[in-house]
Amino acid sequence: MKDVTATSSALFKSLPVFKAPTSLVRNYGMVIVLLGVIITFSLASPFFATFQNAVNILNQVAVIGIVAVGMTFVILTSGIDLSVGSMLAVCSLVSAEFSVQTDPSLFIKILAFAAPVVLGAIMGGVNGTLVATGYIAPFVVTLATLGAFRGFAVWYHANPIYGLPSWYRALGVESVFGTIPYSVLMYLTVVVLASLTLNRTKFGRRVYAVGGNEHASRASGINVARVKFAVYVISGVCVGLAVILQNGRVGGGQSYAGDGMELRAIAAVIIGGVSLFGGRGSISNAVTGTLVLGVLFNGLVLLNVPSPIQVIIIGAILVAAVMFDGIFGRRG
Amino acid sequence: MASASAFSDSLNQLPVADDVLTRPANGPFVEARDIRMQFPGVLALAGVSLSLQRGDVLGLVGENGAGKSTLASILAGLQRGYEGDVLIDGRRVDLTSPNRAREAGIALVEQELSLVPELSVAENIFLGRLPRGRIPGFFSRNLLEAQAQSTLDVMDIKLPLRHPVRCLSPAQAQLVEIAKGLVQQPQLLILDEPTSSLTGAERDKLLTLVRKLRSSGTSVIYISHKLDEVLEIADSITVLRDGLKVAAGPRKEWSEERLIRAMVGRDLSQYYHRRSHNPGKVVLEVRELGVPGLFTSVNFALRQGEIVGLSGLIGAGRTEVAEAIFGLRRATTGKIIVHGREINITSPRVALRQGIALVPEDRRRDGIVPELTTTRNISLGALSKYCIGPFVVQDEERKAVVSIASKVDLDAQMLPQPIRTLSGGSKQKSVIAKMLLLSPSVLILDEPTRGIDVGAKSDVYRIIHDLTQTGMACLLISSEMPELLGVCDRILVMHLGRLVAEFDRETASEESLMAAVAGSGNVLNNEADWQRPGGTLR
Repeated sequence: MKDVTATSSALFKSLPVFKAPTSLVRNYGMVIVLLGVIITFSLASPFFATFQNAVNILNQVAVIGIVAVGMTFVILTSGIDLSVGSMLAVCSLVSAEFSVQTDPSLFIKILAFAAPVVLGAIMGGVNGTLVATGYIAPFVVTLATLGAFRGFAVWYHANPIYGLPSWYRALGVESVFGTIPYSVLMYLTVVVLASLTLNRTKFGRRVYAVGGNEHASRASGINVARVKFAVYVISGVCVGLAVILQNGRVGGGQSYAGDGMELRAIAAVIIGGVSLFGGRGSISNAVTGTLVLGVLFNGLVLLNVPSPIQVIIIGAILVAAVMFDGIFGRRG
Repeated sequence: MASASAFSDSLNQLPVADDVLTRPANGPFVEARDIRMQFPGVLALAGVSLSLQRGDVLGLVGENGAGKSTLASILAGLQRGYEGDVLIDGRRVDLTSPNRAREAGIALVEQELSLVPELSVAENIFLGRLPRGRIPGFFSRNLLEAQAQSTLDVMDIKLPLRHPVRCLSPAQAQLVEIAKGLVQQPQLLILDEPTSSLTGAERDKLLTLVRKLRSSGTSVIYISHKLDEVLEIADSITVLRDGLKVAAGPRKEWSEERLIRAMVGRDLSQYYHRRSHNPGKVVLEVRELGVPGLFTSVNFALRQGEIVGLSGLIGAGRTEVAEAIFGLRRATTGKIIVHGREINITSPRVALRQGIALVPEDRRRDGIVPELTTTRNISLGALSKYCIGPFVVQDEERKAVVSIASKVDLDAQMLPQPIRTLSGGSKQKSVIAKMLLLSPSVLILDEPTRGIDVGAKSDVYRIIHDLTQTGMACLLISSEMPELLGVCDRILVMHLGRLVAEFDRETASEESLMAAVAGSGNVLNNEADWQRPGGTLR
């Protein structure tokens, strides 16, 4: 027994010790992981590292990416929005309903695009109002509206709406000069605007303050309830924008659209490194997390990995990401 | 029930009576040598030694922040990274975890309550060592309650065993805490401010219990602000100041005056930047302010350029009054008048707009956002001043923060750092700076020097004086008598939710203030109708 432990400890001592430059790993850990995944898939599949596939990935992640941006605002205030998937279904149906009117006037056409955004804002406002009262935890509020909004969607239109017209689907399927999809442009726009808001405006500063310490924020004269209300509205608006792309891509609206989306969005945000306890993280974190998930999904499909295995692998990555952060103290 | 009575016997015989004789009688039982403890930015203990015989009661006194509680928590294994040696019966012990301390026979009853509000009294007393039941994995409720009852019998007190602890009054909760320490059957029991919320009869019972423990060979370290208690119970007394042992000796060498002098002991007028002020017109007036269960009919006025102290025991309602004025708590009765106009203060936002600012007591909870940089913490309240539309003009923000930081003696190099990395003193200066950026006319400071080192304390006093020169009115809430006496123009005293006394600079003394704080001064209000707030644990 003694010999074994002696030799094994000698063995460990003889191994070269890998010392990661801690600050680099702490700040860019997930970016490094993302690059690692990309390199792995590039070696494993000849179809992966092509321009067209890169555009494909961005196109695929646009919907969940935009929802994750909204989710980031909510999580930064140490809240959570479980109702995004159900909001998506409601917005999807109403928007589709407008678009399939025969001989739509310009007004109806505009409404088809505006309605999901406005509806998202209203439903987000319901969440925000309930959370801002301070009597119910965000988890409970949005768990309740997750059910309620889904119920509303099914009651409103149990059957799918098919055959959406091409003018409506353009944003979801077409590209600028045939190369860059509109959806990618829209995702980038949302990311840039959200980053500006968080980094440069006083509202952004207050989002971090409320998430970092609600009591201190209140004692500094910040209207905490208003900030909380606003982030849920932002989450709803992001869902509305995502619906425009989603409906265009799918070509229809359905009452079970967005099922389980909340978990994917939260996973993207957390994998990227936003603290689930609020106050720490950025939009670039959310984008990184979204891309990690998107690239994994895309690469695993290209490698013909069966979808149940894909889900297991993504689950393992989520655990690894959070543990990695825990070890390097970012969430400490 | 048999084992329950065996348990009560073991308590009555008292902890280690059986093996006292087998151990060497000469030499101290517990000895601490040159204990040092460095917290970020503060040297909490700068080399303290003490020793204790079996059955000794050591009184440990000192101002807030002198290091008493730190020393207690080191002995209880709650602080890692201390330097120095602790010897028990001449053998060195490593007190790196609460379990080690427990094995060494040391139990600490902490100042802050650490009870689980939803569990019952009996469960709390035996938390972590519930008696096992017949079925594995279950505990025996009968045995638990019998043992808990016998513990309370030893203490000679009655408590409802099955009630959840949240239903108890603060005094009852404190007794549960003491019972918790007792069931560990310690050889050294450390009591940190055990009587802070106990009244006459309960206090006497506690002192009786300490005497019982002493006669059975248990050593006790008794930490208290109440000097009369220490003088009554202790065999020897050690005085700490700023992390150093400044005096020690047997009980008979001490008197209350000598203790106070040893506790305070420095050239006071320079340290406090003592200066006289010329109060101007009234800025803030409070009339008949009240919140049921916390305080009633509080009346006072603050004038431009004066510093008014607010004194009282913890729980007397001082912080609650400040919170009501600042809008963190809604006052149900009375008026708050700012610059001659009655204002309905519903939130801190309203208060700040009216020029009332608060530097909160609990810096970590209400003062700072730990992850943000110091700059962003300081600018948090006044951010709108540095904005064009919704956008923050970061240059202007930085300039304003740098200039206010120099006024409060905050090193500009700390500004880009996350505020959590700063020392307590620098954090406090940042919180003050944050409030100053809002250019208030009334500044309320709640325990502004708690937990910060001597240099930073003196800086805070200087800042307060400078502010009053510019016409600001300051309300200084403090538990430290010398601080109030050294800094304030007038001192108000609260007792059990009422304003009971007012002293001006000439008439105030440590003794008169102590008496008023304890509720025996020249009472301004009739306190017969005041009921002690029972109920919830905070």
